[in-house]
Amino acid sequence: MELLQVENLSFRYPKAERDALHQINFSVNAGEFILLCGVSGCGKTTLLRLLKKELAPVGEKSGRILYESKSLNSPEKAGFVQQNPESQIVTDKVWHELAFGLENMGAPTEVIRRRVGEMASFFGIEGWFRRKTDELSGGQKQLLNLASVMVMQPDLLILDEPTGQLDPIAAADFISTLQKINRELGLTILLAEHRLEEVFPIADRVLVLENGSVILDDKPREIGRKLSPCHPMFYAMPSAVRIRQGLETNDPYPLTVREGREFLERNFKGDTQMPTEPKLPEGDTAAELKNVWFRYEKDAPDVLRGVSLKVRCGEVFCILGGNGAGKTTALNVIAGLDRAYRGKVMIGGRTIKDYKGGALYRNNIALLPQNPQTVFVKETVRADLAEISEAMGIPKKEHKNHIEKIAAKLGISNLLDRHPYDLSGGEQQKCALAKVLLSNPKILLLDEPTKGIDAYAKQNLQKILRGLSQNGKAVILVTHDVEFAAEISDRCAFIFDGEILSADTPQKFFAENSFYTTAANRMARGLWKNAVTCEQVIECCRAEGARL
Amino acid sequence: MKAFANIHPLVEMTYFMSVLIVSMFFSHPVLQTEALIGGILFCAALQGKKAARDIGFYLTLFLMVAVTNPLFSHNGVTPLFFLNGNPVTLEAVLYGVLLAVTVIGVLLWCKAYGEIMTSDKFLYLFGKAIPKLSLVLSMALRFIPAYLRQSRRVSRAQKAMGLYSGKSITDRVKNQARVFIAMISWSLENAMETSASMKARGYGKKGRTNFSLFRFYASDGVLLCLCLLLFMIPIMGAACGITRFTFYPRVDKIETTPAAIVVYAAFGMLALLPFILEVKEAIVWNCYRSKI
Amino acid sequence: MKKWISYGIFCLLIPAVVICGTVLFPAKRYAWVSLCVALLSCLPVFLQFERKSVDAKRLILIASMTALSVLGRILFTPIPAFKPVTALVVITSMYFGSEAGFLTGSLSAVISNFWFGQGPWTPFQMFGWGILGFIGGLLAKRLKHSRILLALYGAIAGVLYSAAMDIWTVFWADGAFNLSRYIAILASSLPFTAIYAVSNVIFLLLFCKPIGKILERVQIKYGL
Repeated sequence: MELLQVENLSFRYPKAERDALHQINFSVNAGEFILLCGVSGCGKTTLLRLLKKELAPVGEKSGRILYESKSLNSPEKAGFVQQNPESQIVTDKVWHELAFGLENMGAPTEVIRRRVGEMASFFGIEGWFRRKTDELSGGQKQLLNLASVMVMQPDLLILDEPTGQLDPIAAADFISTLQKINRELGLTILLAEHRLEEVFPIADRVLVLENGSVILDDKPREIGRKLSPCHPMFYAMPSAVRIRQGLETNDPYPLTVREGREFLERNFKGDTQMPTEPKLPEGDTAAELKNVWFRYEKDAPDVLRGVSLKVRCGEVFCILGGNGAGKTTALNVIAGLDRAYRGKVMIGGRTIKDYKGGALYRNNIALLPQNPQTVFVKETVRADLAEISEAMGIPKKEHKNHIEKIAAKLGISNLLDRHPYDLSGGEQQKCALAKVLLSNPKILLLDEPTKGIDAYAKQNLQKILRGLSQNGKAVILVTHDVEFAAEISDRCAFIFDGEILSADTPQKFFAENSFYTTAANRMARGLWKNAVTCEQVIECCRAEGARL
Repeated sequence: MKAFANIHPLVEMTYFMSVLIVSMFFSHPVLQTEALIGGILFCAALQGKKAARDIGFYLTLFLMVAVTNPLFSHNGVTPLFFLNGNPVTLEAVLYGVLLAVTVIGVLLWCKAYGEIMTSDKFLYLFGKAIPKLSLVLSMALRFIPAYLRQSRRVSRAQKAMGLYSGKSITDRVKNQARVFIAMISWSLENAMETSASMKARGYGKKGRTNFSLFRFYASDGVLLCLCLLLFMIPIMGAACGITRFTFYPRVDKIETTPAAIVVYAAFGMLALLPFILEVKEAIVWNCYRSKI
Repeated sequence: MKKWISYGIFCLLIPAVVICGTVLFPAKRYAWVSLCVALLSCLPVFLQFERKSVDAKRLILIASMTALSVLGRILFTPIPAFKPVTALVVITSMYFGSEAGFLTGSLSAVISNFWFGQGPWTPFQMFGWGILGFIGGLLAKRLKHSRILLALYGAIAGVLYSAAMDIWTVFWADGAFNLSRYIAILASSLPFTAIYAVSNVIFLLLFCKPIGKILERVQIKYGL
């Protein structure tokens, strides 16, 4: 049965030169799990919002959206979950948040009590039912957002990049909850996502959007086959698809790690060696921690327990680890925002205490925080960049030149006169990075730089960071994203319980881990233990294929 | 004060308002003393040893209010001595003492009110009468900690870029203000996303209801009636002029008619009600435990 | 129905409160009456707001501005009396109207006292911040154009606010107006009043333009 039909839908924002959506046609059957993907700015959000009457943007619309063959769409019929877990929560208590939608529908207390109780136990919320919404973790917040939409018993659930701001473990939990809802309750789901590794295999159908048009609408396996490897979306595909794409066989496209592994083991023996190990840069020591201990308060437990590490100029160094392991704290200690109570922090050969006033942040260290929005304080990107140029003591006449140079380097020249909040997540990050780089740091610190940006922006970021490290800058980043770490870093370190457990090249580092490693490595580890990225796996396969 | 914190918010609110009205607007030595004693016991039971830290503050305040009163008031017929040619009268001194008792009594009851009437109870009570504003209050309460966290993040981010790190007071105020302005931009952008989430969940339809987790049990009803009764007795007393007590020109005698005794007893019981409940609860619990 | 309640408040409730106070609390009648009047004066604005259908955006805007003023009161805790609350309330009111200003002011008082302690002063703060916002909204056009007027408004608001609060203290202590006590209280709170008035001026001048720009941007971007 068709639940939703979209016919010839076109949409144009006021004063825009071209359609944001152009002649879109698709239909959704009841009980289907549909995945919508495309690079940022392709019109995903516009399309999803048009499907939800209350959120529909203002503009010129043509075509029809039919809901069970009618054009009506009441709020309780379609639930909507947005990207940012924080900003969707309305009230201050978990139970009140769950009840909010039903209150709006005018449900009596007894009905609300029952439905809220039912949902809370389905989603495992009992444990924090009476807590304040503010005390929850990001994953819990997003789960709460989902549950508070589900209490209204929707027929269709629309989600706009719901895992964008979550760490991989919370994201995987969230996706499996969606799968549970779809399987056990038969609820129809329309999900836009940019992290596809987990979602891709469980979707019934995938729609690929490009420049406001649907270019592909098919089963996931077929999408893998049809999508050209040059397409910017290709980088977002699951590792299994990407590896299969790089090889010339007639096997069907694998989607999951298991299928990928079976595919590789069926076709290859793994008796070649992983080609050349990359050489480690041998610059001067840029930053060094020697037995650093840190705690937030006198009576609080230690967050860092004797952390030691050394990062050289020209090196990209990744710190990986779970939530609360001390990653961000370690970064803040290097940045001089938190002071170690024991141990030494050396920056450029001097202890951090020797830097007085703002000296540490002038031509030395810069930190790009997790949320790039915290970097902006002005009304345009240009004004923000000018502010820091001034603080760096660059004469006013040269500001324009100086700013435009860095803007060209990061590809943000066309964004300079925009308001920072009008930019997409990836664009915001590049602008924030520009502001941070204007202080001309030797050491660049980044906290979770891949959070909330799509695969295309991630690749872009990788190029930028590579360029910086080739210019002799040390780049230290903290991330949950093992795929990104595997691709970009010269060395990776794993932090657990306030200690650095191991630090090595990604090849050696991930080869030693069995769970905490990339999907490509999990597929290929039986054959080539130290092939970590998709490209490396393909390279190994090809080497063997060529020899055979 | 677990027993008292767990009863229905409506009863708690009625109780606090009753006690506060009497302790704030009556001016009778017996009633005011009862209010003070009730307040001391309540706060002590609520906060335990922590309450002891404030004793110094209250004692100073007591002396300040009591001692300074004769400087402002020269009424009364019993001069004790003269200060700069103005009489310091016995009546003014005694009134000062009563005033001090009243002030501290009210402060303690307000403190107890703040501890017991948490924001969710407050929201529940006003949710029915002013539903929209109580929703606004609930949202604001949710935003405050989030904004506080964000403002810390912003100032750290700025610090790590070497901006806004001046040490002088004007610099600090300026920096705080700039971070604050950046916060406003951030919060309003986020607020618009929140409003989308509200609309997506049907906000704005007619006939919105108000949900709460509180239940009104029969025992709450009994307590509410008792509370109102104990409050009405001193009010009736006031209406009949029993609680009228004047200091000037001469201090009245404290009435000891049966009606007056009833008024004193009723308010005394009201002021000690949470304490009595607590003791009762403890006894019941002990009996229950000994039976297991 | 609610319309009649709001008229009823002025026609019936206020006289009733006055009579009650005089009969029941002869010694504290002024304190009682002024407290009740402060509280009751907030009600018409509240009920008016409840009666209308209010857009979710406007609702959340008031909540945000309230939260921001409370945050301001919390962030500047270390410096006594140096608070941006009045400035924020007045700016809200200048850009979003008297009603939004009144609500932001009075709700900020209620909420911030969850942190700083509720007391008999709560109703006065509610009314005080509310009415300062309300008047700011009425003068919006002039205040937007003249920074001098804006500074003047901030200073006067600061002084009046403190002076009015102190009157109540005297009413409550003496049961009538006692000039010598009033002067003593005014004198002892003079430094605070001065800082408060100065902080109003500083924050109004510092905030008015940038916050105004932000609010205008939000108004345009989200169609408020």
